[in-house]
Amino acid sequence: MKTEHTAVSIYVGIIGMATLLLGLAQILVFAGGTELTVGIMTVPNDFFRGAWGGLVVAFAGALMLSGVREIGDIQQFSKVVLGAILVWIIAGCDIFAMICESIPAGEEAPAFFNSLPGFISGFAPPYAPAVLLLPFSLVIACLIRRWGSSDT
Amino acid sequence: MGLSEDERWALIDEISRQTVKSGGYKQTLGDVLGELTVKPLTGIPVAIGVLYAFWSIFGSFAGALMTDGFMVKFFDRYLLPWIQGMWPDPGTWLYFIFVGDPVADNCFEAFGVLTSGLFVAIGVVLPAVLIFYLMMTVLEDSGYLPRLAVLMDTFLHKIGLHGYAIVPTILGLGCNVPAVTATRILETRKQRFIMMTLLAIFVPCGAQIGIMLKAIPDTIGWVFLYLLIGYGIFGFVLNKVIPGSNPEILIDVPPYHLPAWENVAKKMWNRTKGFLKEAVPFVLFGVLIVNLLYLGGVIQWLSDALAPLFVYWFGVPKETTGPLIAAFLRKDLAVAQLAVIPMTAYQMISSVVLVSIYFPCVATFVVMLKEGWKELVAAVGVLICVVFLYGGLIHLIGILLGVA
Amino acid sequence: MEGNPGGDAGNGSTVLLIGNPNVGKSMLFNRLTGVNAVVSNYPGTTVDFTRGTLIMHKKTYEIIDVPGTYSLEAKDLAEEVAIKMLNEHRDGVVVVVLDATLIERGMYLLFEVIERGFSLVVALNMMDVAHDKQIAVDARRLQQILGVPVVPMTAISGEGVKDLIDILRKACVTDVMGIKSRLSGDAAETPAISGCTGCGRC
Ligand SMILES: Nc1nc2c(ncn2[C@@H]2O[C@H](COP(=O)(O)OP(=O)(O)OP(=O)(O)O)[C@@H](O)[C@H]2O)c(=O)[nH]1
Ligand SMILES: [Mg+2]
Repeated sequence: MKTEHTAVSIYVGIIGMATLLLGLAQILVFAGGTELTVGIMTVPNDFFRGAWGGLVVAFAGALMLSGVREIGDIQQFSKVVLGAILVWIIAGCDIFAMICESIPAGEEAPAFFNSLPGFISGFAPPYAPAVLLLPFSLVIACLIRRWGSSDT
Repeated sequence: MGLSEDERWALIDEISRQTVKSGGYKQTLGDVLGELTVKPLTGIPVAIGVLYAFWSIFGSFAGALMTDGFMVKFFDRYLLPWIQGMWPDPGTWLYFIFVGDPVADNCFEAFGVLTSGLFVAIGVVLPAVLIFYLMMTVLEDSGYLPRLAVLMDTFLHKIGLHGYAIVPTILGLGCNVPAVTATRILETRKQRFIMMTLLAIFVPCGAQIGIMLKAIPDTIGWVFLYLLIGYGIFGFVLNKVIPGSNPEILIDVPPYHLPAWENVAKKMWNRTKGFLKEAVPFVLFGVLIVNLLYLGGVIQWLSDALAPLFVYWFGVPKETTGPLIAAFLRKDLAVAQLAVIPMTAYQMISSVVLVSIYFPCVATFVVMLKEGWKELVAAVGVLICVVFLYGGLIHLIGILLGVA
Repeated sequence: MEGNPGGDAGNGSTVLLIGNPNVGKSMLFNRLTGVNAVVSNYPGTTVDFTRGTLIMHKKTYEIIDVPGTYSLEAKDLAEEVAIKMLNEHRDGVVVVVLDATLIERGMYLLFEVIERGFSLVVALNMMDVAHDKQIAVDARRLQQILGVPVVPMTAISGEGVKDLIDILRKACVTDVMGIKSRLSGDAAETPAISGCTGCGRC
């Protein structure tokens, strides 16, 4: 149990730090004004997805970091979970937006529904930071199952 | 009569001692999360995230998917040309009322009952209220709403309400009608009055937000900002001016639970049915009335008469008169009408704010009347003052910023 | 959905659902009548009364869902409605709905109803939550002490609703003196309850 906690602490510490930094980066990109694309990551520059979303991502990172110490304690672990939930919210919204945008055909196209290749190409990279953080934060979902309410 | 309060509690203690056994119960994750979401330090970030989700899902579903993805295409490319081609004699007044502009190429501009009326009601507002109702139901059923109330308590106390006022406010974002009724859970007449007045003036309903999302996507943020600031300022002033007390109450926070899908479906269905039965006919009727008034020259006459007020005091084009008349019937219709009047971006912001604050829609008006005519009269008095002061103030701010 | 106050259901009797806010009255009401009263997870959902009918064993009951209240001294307009309905149906049956996880809080209102001499039944709702929280409520003992039928139930799944309906006609008046004496053990062992005309569940 002890070593598991330490391992999880380290993992959450890294993810939390990455989340915090990416969130802050989003806000900075908004302040800077130009969209930034690095590899498969794109940082939007509009107020809503950039600054507001970035603020939430940064909060999420801070929450995770604040719960890193003595992570076996349910009070502490809850903060990590809350941080992860915030990441899931932002990422979920981004993915939902991609889905909604790629179901209808383009404005000029005669058809109503998008073709299958067109639909799939809507999900091509680059992705927003929260979406990239999503798979890493899903580990916490597994932990919720494992630890559940059994910890004190 | 009977027992004193202390005796009653003593009896209750004894009964529960004999009948209730709580075995070693441990705090669950849900309980701790419940606590974290009401503490300001952790709760405010969550609230900001929830608001983000609300807006994002709303925009993706109502805007990108339904309206821009399907409805605009259907209405502009198929329905509009079809009706224009099939209705005889573009010169007649019947054509003007039901189809509108014979050369319009989109349903915003045509402005006939069967073109713009249907487009606004079904194409834009229906998808918006659908997704709004869904998210509202999740907020209501999950148990987040009362937590938001606790979180907002400090702020709302400054404007003369306790945290529970957030409940009618949020319900009001769906529709002002149930929100006005929900003010009954506030304790004093003063609180109820402040809440009702603020609702009627500053809280836009889901239908209106939906059409704003379509008509003014780039400046909608400013409109919200002005409404929010107005809510704060006038709440504060009303609290200072109106006599009466503003007692504290404890907000009872229920545990979180997953919304039962059965209940969600039932609520969605009932609300959607209500919308189709009550709102849609009103939108169509609104277009009819406005078109008749145009034909009769009433709107022309009114806008000439009111031109100085509109142009010099509010800083908006005199054509705004037409939408203001429609706004009494349906605010969504009014915003749709505004969208096609040529004006600067700032004028658009001002006029949309004006439409929002200027008068509650008929349905809201009627429920307010049911809650008490004295309050309604007073609220209308406040409303008139607010429209003039705040409308002028927004113009002034525009002048100072050099954009009006 | 607002009926005329005082209007009766003809050959049946009136049943009022009274209880603290958010204990599940409206959900129970929906289960009993099939009407769609609004159910939400926050106190203060219902602000006006709703009527519905339940036909069971050839008897027609008029069921009324009212706003939740903590006591019979109204603090706001919604609570006033509940108290007004209670006053208008002095000969009706009152179902006092308690949240099994917060029994103490609900019992204050219960006592006020008892003291006013209403004929009543207690519905112990949210048994599922109580079970999850490992709160065990001895419904039999509670019934014994109170001298009125106590039905454990879970409105959300419908469990126990049938029992509640069956017991409605066994609703009875109880009094504080009797409760006090049974509480102190004088009559604890005797299953027959004074004031209760053989509800059969003791
Ligand atoms: N787990 C569980 N939840 C329940 C049960 N009964 C009701 N609920 C939930 O409790 C919440 C409140 O239910 P309502 O029926 O609206 O409560 P009410 O007593 O009418 O509340 P007010 O109208 O505010 O007085 C809802 O979220 C229901 O889904 C139950 O037996 N078990
Ligand atoms: Mg209710």
